Amino acid sequence: MGPVCWQCSGLIDGPLFCGACGALQSPPSDYFAFFGLGSKLSVDPAALQKRFYELTRLLHPDRFTRKPEREQSHSLEASSILNDGYRVLRDPVERAEYVLRGNGRGVNERRTQAPPELLEEVFELNMALDELRSGDQSARPAIEQACAGFEGMLAEADSSLMASFEAWDSGGGDTALDRIRSILDRRKYIQNLVRDASAALTAPVA
Amino acid sequence: MAYSDKVLDHYNNPRNVGSLDKGSANVGTGIVGAPECGDVMKLQVRVTEATGIIEEAKFKTFGCGSAIASSSLATEWLKGKTVDEALSIKNTDIVTELSLPPVKIHCSVLAEDAIKAAIDDYKKKQGVPAAEPAVEVGAH
Repeated sequence: MGPVCWQCSGLIDGPLFCGACGALQSPPSDYFAFFGLGSKLSVDPAALQKRFYELTRLLHPDRFTRKPEREQSHSLEASSILNDGYRVLRDPVERAEYVLRGNGRGVNERRTQAPPELLEEVFELNMALDELRSGDQSARPAIEQACAGFEGMLAEADSSLMASFEAWDSGGGDTALDRIRSILDRRKYIQNLVRDASAALTAPVA
Repeated sequence: MAYSDKVLDHYNNPRNVGSLDKGSANVGTGIVGAPECGDVMKLQVRVTEATGIIEEAKFKTFGCGSAIASSSLATEWLKGKTVDEALSIKNTDIVTELSLPPVKIHCSVLAEDAIKAAIDDYKKKQGVPAAEPAVEVGAH
């Protein structure tokens, strides 16, 4: 037997409202369950947005002012999950981090390594950044070139991320999750490099 | 958070900053990086092939004071040691010597990794099979 409505004791079929009396139920805290989209990492942004607008309307506090106190408190809780969940699910990286956290693979749950094949380049980039910061403008082209290279790697990381989302969705299991974790780590590392380098390139000349 | 006097000393007067000829057969080079903070550390050793003793060690680190101090200290300790003795330097020794607080332990781990990477590179050049990857201690 499935969950039962707190108000009419009818069976709940959807995740939020009672199919019999329409009362708002205690909302699920899992974002995928909340949005009723299935826990797939590949998400159609248009469908997600449509569902968000629909739920925003259905959960609007104005609709609950004359409802029982219990339902009012469910609506507050649901509105907050709705907004947090939308923010997380609409962004592929946030969405993946959410799933990874739920599977014991959060950012800080184990020691990561900087991508070894990038270290030499990173070292050279830092040398050039030092030169630039000390006023040597001739270091600029090397930094710009390195940035362009890293931007290309970010684009590659994004497409392998999408591919591994599909792998997870079609039952890829732990292997797929580990792969997603390592892509996200690499992506973050490169993003930080590009951020630091861009900051140095746009800093006022000393 | 305040740095210990020893960290400040190494930070203000880093020992053995510089580089050795990467292409040389008796020079081992290790570059390691921390993913969280973007620190990157290059450590090099020059070994007298006949004795296996490290005669020179150089480093260049981009990172915080603790990362610089950890690698500076590592180069001091490396000089005069054999390559095998060098591998026995543990990150915990560095933590103790520099009084690193828990949030900076990863800097000492980085220095230990850099030593191992440099020695591995040297051994590889000398035709010795690389050592088993070290068991990681004291990290996150």
